[in-house]
Amino acid sequence: MRRSQKIESLLTDLGSRLKRGGGVRERPSRLPIGHPEVDCLLGGGFPLGALSEISGASSSGRTWLSLALLANTTRRGELAACVDTADAFDPPSAERLGVDLDRVLWVRARAEPGSGTQTALRATERLLQTEGFPLVLLDWTARLPAPTVASWIRLTRLAAATRAVLLLLSSERLAGPHAEIAVRMEPARARFTGTPALLEELETRMLLVRNRSAPIDPAAGFDIRLSRSRALRLSRPRPRPPSHESVA
Amino acid sequence: MNRSPRQACLLVADLPLRAALRARPELADVPFVVATGSDAQAEVVAVSPAARRAGARAGSSLTHARAVSSDVRVQVISPALERVSRQALLDVALSFSPRAMLAQRSAWAFSSEAAVLLDASGIQQLYESERHFASALAAQSEALGLPGAVAIASSRTVARIAARHSANTANPLCVVPAGAEASFLAPIPIDLLDPSDPLGQQLTRFGIHVVRDLLRLPRRALATRLGPDVLELVARIRGETVESPLPLPADSRLEEAIDLDYPVDRAEPLLFVLRGLLSRLMQRLELRHLASGPLDLQLHLEGGGRDTRQVGVAGATRDVRVLLRLIALSLETHPSDAPVEAVCVATEGLPERRDQLDLFRPRGPDPNNLDRTLTELEALCGSDRVGSPEVADDHRPDAFGLKPFEPHRTSRVPDLPTHTEPTALVVRALRPAIAAEVRVNRGLPTQVRSAVSNGDIVRVSGPWRTTGRWWSDTDRYALDHFDIQVSDGTVSRLCFDWHKRCWRIDGLYD
Repeated sequence: MRRSQKIESLLTDLGSRLKRGGGVRERPSRLPIGHPEVDCLLGGGFPLGALSEISGASSSGRTWLSLALLANTTRRGELAACVDTADAFDPPSAERLGVDLDRVLWVRARAEPGSGTQTALRATERLLQTEGFPLVLLDWTARLPAPTVASWIRLTRLAAATRAVLLLLSSERLAGPHAEIAVRMEPARARFTGTPALLEELETRMLLVRNRSAPIDPAAGFDIRLSRSRALRLSRPRPRPPSHESVA
Repeated sequence: MNRSPRQACLLVADLPLRAALRARPELADVPFVVATGSDAQAEVVAVSPAARRAGARAGSSLTHARAVSSDVRVQVISPALERVSRQALLDVALSFSPRAMLAQRSAWAFSSEAAVLLDASGIQQLYESERHFASALAAQSEALGLPGAVAIASSRTVARIAARHSANTANPLCVVPAGAEASFLAPIPIDLLDPSDPLGQQLTRFGIHVVRDLLRLPRRALATRLGPDVLELVARIRGETVESPLPLPADSRLEEAIDLDYPVDRAEPLLFVLRGLLSRLMQRLELRHLASGPLDLQLHLEGGGRDTRQVGVAGATRDVRVLLRLIALSLETHPSDAPVEAVCVATEGLPERRDQLDLFRPRGPDPNNLDRTLTELEALCGSDRVGSPEVADDHRPDAFGLKPFEPHRTSRVPDLPTHTEPTALVVRALRPAIAAEVRVNRGLPTQVRSAVSNGDIVRVSGPWRTTGRWWSDTDRYALDHFDIQVSDGTVSRLCFDWHKRCWRIDGLYD
């Protein structure tokens, strides 16, 4: 019997007991934040290799959303970097959310009027060039001049090259069409309870205002209640404002 | 297998020329000479092959060199360049053998040569033959810009004489088999033994030109006529002098230096020069399997001043680009006071980083790449502003810590706090705290005006008092905190400082 025939016969005998090796496992294309409803809204999380944006006014829950992503990323053993132009990162809050602080590189970029923008951008570029940081958080809430279009293009390309999530946190939308996903956080109300009164809950609204890879559901959005001790509560979507933007 | 001690000598015959070419390789094909000065009376010390073809000769005056070749380039002899070239030669030797040393400088005819001696015993276990080893050594030296001759013999003296002999021949490699030293040396001219000038002249007067002639003569008669120096020379030839073992190198500090042709007052040309220096320095470090630690940069300024600065690195690296960027940042931040005439860069060679990666966690960044990133970030933002955040063991509301970012040393399983709240209220710190004007009614704030929050206070809770460090005049604190919701929608943390008697907002709930 020829060798090839022997192999064929052996394969027939073994039949289904043989487990064929699959292809190379595909790397995940999204970085989830760990809350199923929010991840579902984002299509599985923030996309790797792209720029995403969270914007919102003070007390809108924008910091919570970014720290939640940081927590879920570091919990999986990955590294994350935070370029903090506002010097606003609060380690106790982050730890309470479950961020593994040892896996966070905190860059306290000085928001100086003259060179602050360039310093923050150069630091972000350098981090994006360093493979191994799947999440680079750029906190641009300080009063710095907005980066130019060329800067966004450069950052987007670098993020794509190293397959990192570049998450921009800002007071208002800055990246415009360069963002793959844009989320707007809106403050709703704070709830004080008891006597004497205690700040118990912060209710915010999360809206997906841009998703380049899929059309936006006009009803998509959540009310999020951040509390001192209670679990996340999501209410049914509310009607969204008409200023949505969707690129198919 | 040959188990007798074997010694190798790597010799560069024309060091001033080679040192100059190593620093300025673009001069390799043009006629240029190294002279003791730039004036007409200066003596030519070394000539390049192109200048030699044009008729220039070492030992002549600079005027003569310019007369025979009008387009000859002149390079003033640089002790700094020669010093670092000698050190580079030692680095080449140390990349082959752990025991190597620079040979003593000759005071007479061979004062322009540089030689390094190394222990080559048992080298045949690593190389096919001693000639292959010699060839590899010569190639490495040439790669570093210092082409030279290599000889291997049973003693350092014979190895050096053989190398000197080979440097004058077409074949720069010479292996003297063990026991064949006498026959090898017999036809060698006495001059190659580098006798002192008076002794050399006396030997010539007696008609003794080669080693064979000298060894035929009785020692007593030689000593009577030529003095004790000749006995020492004969003992060296016969291998009767005791050679102490080669020491282990103790110093891992490496430096590169250059004297500039004219003072430089701008950063760009200076960085261009520094790029060359750093490239050569990193090449030498690589030979010794070391990486660069913090750089000591010394700028010799016009007028005799000196600008010395240290450029820190986060981790040992050999990346010229990164080091150059760090130096550029340093020069940009603190420019030197006067034009620069000479530059010296030195560093302590540190072991290369070796990290064992973990199979059970994500790969993370390459440690060397991460070091480079951290170095650049520290240079950009300051070394106290880059790191891993930590919760400080302190009751001050604004306390936090920052430690070095070392992800490869963290535990495999994330060491998370036992109790986490995935939807906890998050505070956004305001550093420094924002000053606020507050209207108070019955001990509670009712209106606030600040850079982050303005309006009537809709809801308030508090105060919560925090005090501490009462024993310190500078660090003591006594704060009353309020959680407030303002009519503009912000929910923030307002505090009253009892010591400074002022209101501040030190955090936003976000």
